[in-house]
Amino acid sequence: MTAPILSTHGLVAGYEPDLPIVRGIDFSVSSGELVVLLGPNGAGKSTFVKAIAGLVPIHAGTMMLNGRDITHVSPHRKVAEGLAFVPQTENVFATMTILENLQIAVAHLPKAKRGAAIEALFARFPDLAARPSRLAGALSGGQRQMLAVARALALDPPVIILDEPSAGLSPKIVSEVFDMLKAINAGGVTVLLVEQNVKAALAIASRAVILAEGRIAHEGLPEELASDPLVGKIYLGTAHGHQGAPA
Amino acid sequence: MNPQFIMDGLIAGAIIGLGAVGVTLTYSILRFSNFAHGELLSWGAYLALAVAGALGFLSAGLTKPIAPFSFGWALPISAVIAIGLTGLLALAVDALLFSSFRRRGSAIIIMVMASFGASLALRSLLEFLFTSKPAYFTKALQIAMKLGGGLRATPDQLLMLGVALVAVVTVHLLMTRTDIGRAMRAVSENPALASIAGIDVRRVIRTVWFLGAALACVAGIMSGLLIQIRPYLGHDLLLPLFAAAILGGIGSVPGAMLAGLIIGLCEALAVQAVGAEWRAAVSFVILIAVLLVRPRGLFGKAS
Ligand SMILES: Nc1ncnc2c1ncn2[C@@H]1O[C@H](COP(=O)(O)OP(=O)(O)O)[C@@H](O)[C@H]1O
Ligand SMILES: [Mg+2]
Repeated sequence: MTAPILSTHGLVAGYEPDLPIVRGIDFSVSSGELVVLLGPNGAGKSTFVKAIAGLVPIHAGTMMLNGRDITHVSPHRKVAEGLAFVPQTENVFATMTILENLQIAVAHLPKAKRGAAIEALFARFPDLAARPSRLAGALSGGQRQMLAVARALALDPPVIILDEPSAGLSPKIVSEVFDMLKAINAGGVTVLLVEQNVKAALAIASRAVILAEGRIAHEGLPEELASDPLVGKIYLGTAHGHQGAPA
Repeated sequence: MNPQFIMDGLIAGAIIGLGAVGVTLTYSILRFSNFAHGELLSWGAYLALAVAGALGFLSAGLTKPIAPFSFGWALPISAVIAIGLTGLLALAVDALLFSSFRRRGSAIIIMVMASFGASLALRSLLEFLFTSKPAYFTKALQIAMKLGGGLRATPDQLLMLGVALVAVVTVHLLMTRTDIGRAMRAVSENPALASIAGIDVRRVIRTVWFLGAALACVAGIMSGLLIQIRPYLGHDLLLPLFAAAILGGIGSVPGAMLAGLIIGLCEALAVQAVGAEWRAAVSFVILIAVLLVRPRGLFGKAS
């Protein structure tokens, strides 16, 4: 295994000072992995990834990105250092156009390189290129998700974290999203994926981590977890390898 | 009916509009009603007065009127300096007061109360420094020119309307065409998303304070030049400023300016039709009507 690109050490985080939601997580992702983060509703998955992105106060512990301590780095600096995050909801600027959303995303690049970066994103997401002046708020669920991912990829980040990118999408679009994530990972980007869509997520993951009550409850290879009925029943709300009801 | 109310209304409206643009920007990004915004107009006017006085003291030639206007070069030079100083004043108030509440995640009502306190303190300080006696940028009298259609205006008035127009168009272009403008709109929609999209939210907040204060300063100088300078200059405009920001739709720069002009014209019409004592009621009536009928204002986004 290569050295971890992203790691947390004894991470405790939560919205209120005396109410930890993430309760001491030691976790690491190696360069090139696609790690899926599973767990029941309310386990603290979103809080954990938001804490990594810098949106939830850290009570204790540290986190490292590429060998650098980023525990107290502000969210916009983390982006500049190569950590991209796609939140579960409200992940595009709805009152702004597709183009404006992407212009914001490339604002860290030198002016001369921005046009090419946006062109590259449009080439990768042709759906968005069709009418760049559409308001993001008027897009379909799938297109919005594409825009959110395009925004996150704008700076060619080495690491991207996505919080339930398939939530609320139709099955056809869900499979498109998973294909896209697989392609992104194949392109060399390390992916940390929070998912409720257990089966589809395990199918593309190189490793799976299960969170319960703010702690890591189980870790292993996807095929082990998929075939472990006890794990499925206790932590994922699934039995016999079937997918549970998405929240 | 005397058509002159149109000129009076446009001038009052331009002053209200410039102040309201500041209110709408700070409200949409800081998310509280800053009742100290009026004081930035007053401070802007007095800072320009003080700097102009100092310049006139250094070189009397700077006070010699530039034809056809009533003021000398001291005023435009001091206006530029006062804009910067008013911006710094707003940044200082934020650093000393509001930023500590933001860090603690204080409730909106606490921010609003703090702004009341700041308003009182800033106004008292002005009265202490400059007394409450009205002051003037210039004592020179101006002859109004006939514009046709029964309208008359002084060169000062026309210049100030032009300045207001240029200021609003500039801010509008800034908001729609530049990185910092897009960043301001992004923070106004969703600060958390803005931060993970790479935007330095604290820098945006500083920019908004500075920009709002700069516009307030321009409005204060306009009011000081065309009417008079008093410590209550801005405070007395607070209701029209908020009425215009809400009528225009919170966050909309052209909306705030247009609404300011509408309110200014309605006020001037009311003064002529029913009497000067009704001027203050106009903003109140418009504010209540908008809140009841169309709370998002003319150009506001549906929420
Ligand atoms: N913004 C918030 N403020 C306070 N508590 C929150 C907030 N968001 C989530 N929580 C709480 O944190 C816990 C974990 O939630 P979350 O991280 O969203 O879980 P998951 O993503 O695994 O479903 C829940 O008890 C939830 O009520
Ligand atoms: Mg979640």
